[in-house]
Amino acid sequence: MSVYKHNYRAYAGKITPAWTRVLVLAKYGFAEAWSSKITVGLFTLCLLPPIVFLFGIYLANNPLARALIGSRESRVMVVDARLFLVILQIQSWFALALSSWIAPRLITFDLADNALPILLSHPISRFGYVFGKSIALFTSLSVVTWVPGLLLFTYQSYSSPIPWAAANLHIATGLLAGAVIWVALLSILGLALSSWVKWRVVATGAIFAAVFVPAGVGAIVTGVLRTKWGFLLNIPFMMSLLWRRLLGAPESATVRYSLPTGAIAVMLVLACFICAAMLNARIRAREVVRG
Amino acid sequence: MNDQIIFEDVSKFYGEVLGVNRISLTIPPGITTLVGPNGSGKTTLMNLMTGLVQPSSGRISVVGLSPSNSPELFRILGYCTQFDSFPRGITGWQFVFDSLMLQGMSETEAVQLTIESLERVQLGDAAGRKIAGYSKGMRQKVRLAQAIAHHPRVLVLDEPLNGLDPMARAESIALFQELGRQGMHLLISSHILDEVDRISDRVVLITGGYLIAEGSIQQVRQEVREKPMQVLIRCDRPALLASRMFAINHCVEARLHADGRGVFLRTADIDQFYSILNGIAAEGLVKIEAVAPADDDASAIYQYLIGSDGSAL
Repeated sequence: MSVYKHNYRAYAGKITPAWTRVLVLAKYGFAEAWSSKITVGLFTLCLLPPIVFLFGIYLANNPLARALIGSRESRVMVVDARLFLVILQIQSWFALALSSWIAPRLITFDLADNALPILLSHPISRFGYVFGKSIALFTSLSVVTWVPGLLLFTYQSYSSPIPWAAANLHIATGLLAGAVIWVALLSILGLALSSWVKWRVVATGAIFAAVFVPAGVGAIVTGVLRTKWGFLLNIPFMMSLLWRRLLGAPESATVRYSLPTGAIAVMLVLACFICAAMLNARIRAREVVRG
Repeated sequence: MNDQIIFEDVSKFYGEVLGVNRISLTIPPGITTLVGPNGSGKTTLMNLMTGLVQPSSGRISVVGLSPSNSPELFRILGYCTQFDSFPRGITGWQFVFDSLMLQGMSETEAVQLTIESLERVQLGDAAGRKIAGYSKGMRQKVRLAQAIAHHPRVLVLDEPLNGLDPMARAESIALFQELGRQGMHLLISSHILDEVDRISDRVVLITGGYLIAEGSIQQVRQEVREKPMQVLIRCDRPALLASRMFAINHCVEARLHADGRGVFLRTADIDQFYSILNGIAAEGLVKIEAVAPADDDASAIYQYLIGSDGSAL
């Protein structure tokens, strides 16, 4: 038996709150996401439509500028809920492309490098790990969805010759809510699928497939059974309906089917639960199984 | 009993595969080495202790804390996994610094502790380089640095000496011994049996998920009564001593030392052996210079209890 002097002193200093530790993982996430030139290229591409719409809003509110470019129309475009719906739709599909590239970088690297046991051997939970990564993804996607959308709304409010913002505040709240729902769904879907696919490129494809393949299945179900409920598998269709309602834009005359908002909400929550279960099963320190 | 690590009837099954089975252990402060062949359940035991896997049954307490309480546990525990893997693209400094930030240190404190731990493992000069460019030994060291950086009370090291050159190995062993002497818990798994002898206060032998033996190496060797013990006796007339000892029926093997100044004797009854040796020494026929057990080391225990093929005897 050794004689122990017991003069070792464990750390007894102050500890930062748990939420600040999550930000360390978010920082890792940002570094992993933005270390690729393709991410920067995609991000730049995502910002092109808002720039075009910014120019459009400028022209719509400035007769002199319209005259300078030789436009004889009294209004270049109508700035209303329909315009912001188009902006939200375009930016949301760009966000899908961006998430399919970024999400696999956040998780598959750690899985491929076996870095989870090291990261989870800290006072941070598996939830904290996923939350930290999702902050990085959520923030990156926000920058191309609701942030430019609200900036355009603010610019329109500022440049409109008539009081506009107060009467159209529902557009801003709808745009924010619609984009946040989409970005949250994309974040959890992207991370869940990335955690199950070892190869990054395959994970990118899987994210697109998870959005569009069920939509195809839903269309078959709708066609064969002649029921609208097949559209509950069609994420693009459901989101389009949801955005339209949140922004208060009129329903499209060409759409034959509609779904109750409650059913859409249930399906989105269900998708999130499935993704959470996938993450729960996969995000854990590697267990060594004896052969 | 809050300064001990306690396993109470702990089992872990991965589906139908046995990880460890009904392990009961009490580990006091100091250096405890886990010894066993590949796939014996050493890493499972460490993962159970650190809460990275949950036991199928039984209870574990690490200095009074449950491993399921990971935020509290990892504040007092440092774990150096066997995986040679790191988050991508980071430097040694960032790895240790970010680890400390995850531990909840303030930035100022994290900087100070990062410098201290990297210097402690002799990695101060290479701290700014990317880990991807490190040698295997350097990667082992930086993992060790992050495990000790936050001054844990318990240090769990899975194969920490793998890949280290002799110099680095000696430095690491000196560090473990220093921490063990100071009263820290060190649980180390190792295949390098010579070094297990040098550093361990206690050994835990495990194979096939079953606990085979635990205690100090000498205690364990004495418990293995069915294997005759080998003793080296340094003396001036080894052949005479061997012949006298062979007159006793429990002396089963004698072998002269290569330098002719000693004899290895193997006996089935060590207590009686020493008593007879006393008698021979008192007679004065043989001048005995030294007596030392020749097979109460980790390697011999491993051979006797686990066997060279890894199956328990």
